[in-house]
Amino acid sequence: MTHLGFVAAAYGLALVVGAGFAVDAWLRVGRARRRLEAIDPRRNRERVL
Amino acid sequence: MGAVDSSSSSPVARSLHRFANPGRFLRISGRVLPFVAIPALVLTLGGLAWGLFFAPADYQQGDAVRIIYIHVPSAWLASGGYLALAVCAVLSLVWRHPLADLAAVEIGPVGAAFTALCLATGSLWGKPMWGAWWVWDARLTSVLVLFFLYLGHIALVRAFDDPTRGYRAGAILALVGVVNLPVIKFSVDWWNTLHQPATLSVSGAPSMHVDMLWPLLVCILGFSLGFAAIVMARLRAAVMERRIRGLLLAGAQGA
Amino acid sequence: MLRTRKGRRLAVVLLCLMGLGTAAGLTLLAFSDNLVFFVTPGDLADKPQPAGRMLRLGGLVETGSVTRARNDGKPVARFRVTDGRAAVDVEFAGILPDLFREGQGVVTLGMLRPDGSFLASEVLAKHDETYMPPEVAEALKKSGQWKPESGAAPPAGNWNTLNPRKSGG
Repeated sequence: MTHLGFVAAAYGLALVVGAGFAVDAWLRVGRARRRLEAIDPRRNRERVL
Repeated sequence: MGAVDSSSSSPVARSLHRFANPGRFLRISGRVLPFVAIPALVLTLGGLAWGLFFAPADYQQGDAVRIIYIHVPSAWLASGGYLALAVCAVLSLVWRHPLADLAAVEIGPVGAAFTALCLATGSLWGKPMWGAWWVWDARLTSVLVLFFLYLGHIALVRAFDDPTRGYRAGAILALVGVVNLPVIKFSVDWWNTLHQPATLSVSGAPSMHVDMLWPLLVCILGFSLGFAAIVMARLRAAVMERRIRGLLLAGAQGA
Repeated sequence: MLRTRKGRRLAVVLLCLMGLGTAAGLTLLAFSDNLVFFVTPGDLADKPQPAGRMLRLGGLVETGSVTRARNDGKPVARFRVTDGRAAVDVEFAGILPDLFREGQGVVTLGMLRPDGSFLASEVLAKHDETYMPPEVAEALKKSGQWKPESGAAPPAGNWNTLNPRKSGG
């Protein structure tokens, strides 16, 4: 493969950026949901979330 | 300010405000999200593998052409994400739509990241192909301006103690920056640039062989769905975080 | 439309956008001479530039014009850059980029000499918007549909679904 270093760097960057944002969003949703379930006084929260 | 004044609602405004109800948004987005996120993952990974291992090399660029399977989708999302930001700005300024404010805050960093990815991969392509990491031609410069607009928006919406003022300022910046989008698109046609003109156009055949075109289209679709899924998940988190703040505040005042 | 608060806000936003768009358009039009990344030999023929000022010259490398030599151990290339209307002799000491080829686009940074030739200190290859596998390019050249030395590939509709392995070129 020609220009292997450049191609590998581009794909590496894309995977780091994509996976980073996806994992961050996933963890943030989980954190917020647990926090909300702990303090939400409403009974019907399953229906809301 | 974020309150819904339904007294003078047109049908458009009414249907918009149905999604302004945070509980309804969480319910609907929770149901939709898997149907966006899973195809996004499959198409992105599949498209990138197709482009990296199975698509042919270019007759001139060799394997460096494979960088476009990341560069072109990121470039599309850099502009598309900014357009979404501008739509949120109009919804926020005109209809005072509370979800649009939160969406603008969450779109900013994701759009900035894809713009950075577009610039970085373009650089990685430019060095071996043009012979330069960077040149100040109209296309590259206007995309760099787009990146700074994203950074400015990210900083501005978080710069005020009163979030509403931050949302307002960010929305105005997003709208002002929208003039940059046609400049980016048409820079390669209006001025002499080092960057090549568009390969894909609405009219006319794409000047790219189908063996490269299909993986590129799959990547564009996969990246777009991925962008949507990430923004939707971040927006869900933001809505829940706002409710947590509200509940804590109410608890503190009630005590 | 202007009856409600929302309608007025929408009108204000639209007006501001129109004003902003006009202002941006006029600014770009006024500065459009400075926004070009390079000038072509034809531009130079229309508006001659003084010798010694740095500028970028862009165009196609004229077929058959490239000569390579060595001067004090450094490679020196001479070629002509053309845009179809005019051509300029270019001299460049250094390593040419991978995509530098006869019939291909280049952008060179340097200055005009008093004799009208161009001394380049940097040469960038300008890629076109055509992407095709080597077999397809080979098949097009073999069938005589495309002579790469004399210019761009034929219209994309002719080749972008071509499959040389099946049709045998």
